[in-house]
Amino acid sequence: MATETSTTADRRGIVERLRASPFLSELLSNRLAIIGLSIILGMVLLGVYARLFLDLGAISQSQLAAHPNKAPPGWLGSAALDQFLFGTDAAARDIFKRVLYGAWLALKFGVLVVGASTVLGISLGIIAAYYGDVVDNVVMRTMDVFLAFPSLLLALALVAIFGAGLSKVVIALTLVYTPRFARVVRGAALKVLEDEYIDATVALGARDPRVLVRHVLPNCLAPITVQSTLNFGLAIIDLAALSFLGFGAQAGTPSWGLMLKNGVSNGLLTGDWWLSFFPGLFLAVTVLGFNLLGDGMRDALDPRMRE
Amino acid sequence: SKRFIAKRLLLLVPVLFGVATVVFAILHLAPGDPARVILGQRAPTQQVVQLRRELGLNDPIWVQYGRFLADTAQLDFGQSYQIAKGSPVWDVLADRLPVTIELAIYGQITAILLGIPLGVLSAVKQDSLTDHVTRIGALTGISVPIFWSGPLVLLVFATFLGWLPTSGRIGSTFFLEDHWVLFGTQLPLTGMVSIDTFILDTGAFVQSILYGEGLGAFASLTEYYASFISAVQHLLLPVLTLGIYSMALLSRMMRSSMLEVIRQDYIRTARAKGQGERITILKHGLRNALIPVITVIGIQFGTLLGGAVLTETVFGIGGIGQLLVAAIGATDYPLVQGTVLVFALLFTLVNLGVDVTYSYLDPRIQQ
Amino acid sequence: MARYDPLLAWFRRRLRLVATAGAVGIVLGGIAAVVIAVLDDPTTASTQTFAIGTLAFGFGILGWSGSALAGRSIEGLQRRLDTNSDWTERDSRRAMTRLSGFGAGVMAGVVIVTPLLP
Repeated sequence: MATETSTTADRRGIVERLRASPFLSELLSNRLAIIGLSIILGMVLLGVYARLFLDLGAISQSQLAAHPNKAPPGWLGSAALDQFLFGTDAAARDIFKRVLYGAWLALKFGVLVVGASTVLGISLGIIAAYYGDVVDNVVMRTMDVFLAFPSLLLALALVAIFGAGLSKVVIALTLVYTPRFARVVRGAALKVLEDEYIDATVALGARDPRVLVRHVLPNCLAPITVQSTLNFGLAIIDLAALSFLGFGAQAGTPSWGLMLKNGVSNGLLTGDWWLSFFPGLFLAVTVLGFNLLGDGMRDALDPRMRE
Repeated sequence: SKRFIAKRLLLLVPVLFGVATVVFAILHLAPGDPARVILGQRAPTQQVVQLRRELGLNDPIWVQYGRFLADTAQLDFGQSYQIAKGSPVWDVLADRLPVTIELAIYGQITAILLGIPLGVLSAVKQDSLTDHVTRIGALTGISVPIFWSGPLVLLVFATFLGWLPTSGRIGSTFFLEDHWVLFGTQLPLTGMVSIDTFILDTGAFVQSILYGEGLGAFASLTEYYASFISAVQHLLLPVLTLGIYSMALLSRMMRSSMLEVIRQDYIRTARAKGQGERITILKHGLRNALIPVITVIGIQFGTLLGGAVLTETVFGIGGIGQLLVAAIGATDYPLVQGTVLVFALLFTLVNLGVDVTYSYLDPRIQQ
Repeated sequence: MARYDPLLAWFRRRLRLVATAGAVGIVLGGIAAVVIAVLDDPTTASTQTFAIGTLAFGFGILGWSGSALAGRSIEGLQRRLDTNSDWTERDSRRAMTRLSGFGAGVMAGVVIVTPLLP
């Protein structure tokens, strides 16, 4: 009975808190954060469009029979080729379409990595906070050691164990990013535990991890969202980096990292700049979008950073 | 303070022991049979079985662990399976390590020299146009991956403008010796191409002044230093790419640290005493704001090493970063193991250096 | 004599920490090896369980010495980058001592159990 009422009260609390939240109004008044949000929304639209309307076969397989290879963007001169907005690559595939599809891949695998590590992090953080003492210490300090490693090197080490391939890279990066979420959740969970009302619910006989989930999750939604946003950009870069180094996407897949790899090996010396320029531009702009939004969110959340 | 340093140096032993043990565990948890890797997929089973026996892979795993530790302690990392087939891992590493060290050191120096002043400037002029531009610049710097900025600067400055070379460490017309001669004794070179060429060129130049052209040698200074100039030209783009990438993080840290210090009371007091603002900030603020940033430099060096892996790949510089990527790709386990150990050693040594610097800067530590 | 007491106490505390974790490790490692041996073959069981033990052991050692070596840097970094963190060098070292004790226990457990495997 006691938990029932407190849950409904809490649920009403979320909506009201959001409406009157200084966090949201602060965020919406931040011009850079709005720019970031627009970039992200734009990329999502492009990605979804590419997923729905582009033929994956045509942009993965060689088109040497049909088109010229390494053709510069059509608008650069030869009018006959104006259908290739971003030019074609070494296998005569349309770079524009590939870049659009790359947006879908980056967001999809970014969501997989960040989503999985958020869920894992929430579980570990809550477990650590709930059981405290030895469990807390061992779990969190192990996470800390993981945090001390640079993400790319750690991911490379894990790839050495799991082997190459996009799905394995996703697993490796999930492990790399989990500690960051675990730490945030644990901090928020400990704060909630300190509050008296949890003591009250526990005293009423609800000593149950479910209680924690119900009370902790609403309270750490904001920090988790900030963390997810900031790490989304990093995760996309790391995903692309691993593909760039040859451990992620397999040949033909229109991933930005792999396109950059091809651009470096095929276009650097000959000056075919469009091979690497456009995929990298989309990657950098997307990451910048997440960083702008995440930064704005952090400033809105953490009054210390404001005057 | 000597005891402090000695204690830290002693801690290197368990660090490396820990890394070695983790690497051992990882390699034994990884799928795949080393004997298969060495011999290739199509080798007859009989051969594989024999090689397994020779490599000691049939012994109980704790025996293998003990042997591994004993070998590692003697700096014997075994032989490369694939990349440098048959040659000792230690030799390969010793060959490639200076390349990465050179890149990382110059990159780190660039990052510090650019990042700290920018952070200070941004903090001092908080909320001004300069601050906004610097902050957005730093954010962009973090967002732009090295494997895009690298190819772009290469395309602009090497391919299109032709000012700088596209890849490698030195022009193909130069031949690097592996030692230099001083008063009849042969001294080994460092393997860091900018330092080596400088030493060799200076040697030739001084010799020419003493025994040849005399002071007229100054007229053809650039000719004497041609190989050094070539080396610097090759280093310029990779170092800038790596350095600007790490600079972004440092300048952000410096800004927030400086802001914190500026807000503290004693700065206000100093200001009230009538000193000029600029002097106040530089004298009191900078030293205090630097302390936390310096601690970060050590940890940020890890990110820089990660960046070095990418930079080496883009610019075709054969350091241990490129070696690590190649070794993982070819499942060349002994080489992976050796590279990881060397990365850990570098990271720890830099942090050690940072710690020592820190203890000098922060008087509270010295007691 | 009294001068050495704190040192002895220090040592005893560490020993108890390692021993408790090690005992847990021996039991768990032994059980895991037997279970995997039943499901798979004895060699795999011994190799994989031991490797996991070394992983925990090595990780603990690395974490312990890393905390001792760079503790102050990490404390500074966490204070600056995270809003709520209570990372301390001391806690970290204790946790890592436990972890390496546990890992060593698993390794020992496997060594003890392996000759008994079918």
